[in-house]
Amino acid sequence: MEPSTSSQQHSFQRQVEPELVARLQRGDLAAFECIYRQFERAAWTLALRLTGRADVAQEVVQDAMLKAYERARQYRGDAPFPAWLRKLVVNEALMRLRHDRLHVFEAFTDTQPDADAPELWTRADATALDRALNRLPDTARAVLWLYHVEGCTHIEIAEQFGRTVSFSKSQLARGTRRLRELLRTQSETTPCTMNPISNT
Amino acid sequence: MHDEPNQQHMKGEAALAAALRALPDATPPRDGWPAIAARIAHRRRTRNTLRIAVPAALAAGVAIAVALPHLWPARAPSTTPRVVQRTAAPTRVPEIELGALRAQSQRLQTWVTALDRNGAPLGGSALAGAVALQDRIGLVDLQLSAATDPATRASLWKQRNLLLQQLGLLHLQPYAVAEHTRTTPDPTIIL
Repeated sequence: MEPSTSSQQHSFQRQVEPELVARLQRGDLAAFECIYRQFERAAWTLALRLTGRADVAQEVVQDAMLKAYERARQYRGDAPFPAWLRKLVVNEALMRLRHDRLHVFEAFTDTQPDADAPELWTRADATALDRALNRLPDTARAVLWLYHVEGCTHIEIAEQFGRTVSFSKSQLARGTRRLRELLRTQSETTPCTMNPISNT
Repeated sequence: MHDEPNQQHMKGEAALAAALRALPDATPPRDGWPAIAARIAHRRRTRNTLRIAVPAALAAGVAIAVALPHLWPARAPSTTPRVVQRTAAPTRVPEIELGALRAQSQRLQTWVTALDRNGAPLGGSALAGAVALQDRIGLVDLQLSAATDPATRASLWKQRNLLLQQLGLLHLQPYAVAEHTRTTPDPTIIL
């Protein structure tokens, strides 16, 4: 659960040897272990960001990886293999959110863009941002992550949640605002920046 | 005049996206591989057991059905005149009908294979549906390998063809959805 000190980011962008994927598609368990170890951390981070709970994230990673093994033959190579794997994790996490009712749909109606200055985000401390993110409601956090980090559109997010585009927009607007409030509250109580984020 | 807040908003969005992307990966609390490997091994064992047990159970069922009339104790001859009942002859399935069903199944199988190879990738729920259908087809195949009665075989071939049709239609769904999306634009999107 603790953020790592490693600077390696977005490990789903790693390349996977086609030979390794071919072996996985033939059911080679050693090849699968190799792939699992390459992406375990990225999958765990993604599952944790989307569900907000370590116990649920663990189940999500297990189920998604198991599906990757059992359905590897259905991977056709249209997209990079890590992107296919990431989609499995996202689907599994959102399915878990829906089934376990971890999230409560809040009837946000405001979709006004957040027009505050961007300095808050550029100055933000990584630990504080991580903590604030974890304190967001599950749906808002998942929408924020899917939109900003996974690059999903509002249409895609709406489809994933089985809701409307307005729902996605309002969750994003409200989530951003709440994240800002949480960060400001934290910076007022702990003014020292211990771990600044490098955006370069 | 109105562009300024919009630009500010876009800068804010970009800054937030960058800040979130820059967050370091979290470390899983423990190595998850042993649990995954155990689950795979368990599933393999279950599948192997089913592969052996299902045909064995079917074969045993057929053997009992054949042997039962012979094992039944013979009744004492009755003194009262017997009322002869005309029973309906068992349904006979001509070999030609079985052949037609088999041929249809092969055509459907070729169709589904082509769709699977060349079609759009299936989404989450469709993928789950496809896997479930493939499992059921596998089960029907097992039953077919053990069935000898022509009527049972015909029924199983029909069942197999129906499942293959469902699987094929599932593969065609993304195209239907895409076509629908193209023709009916989302009114909530502001261009």
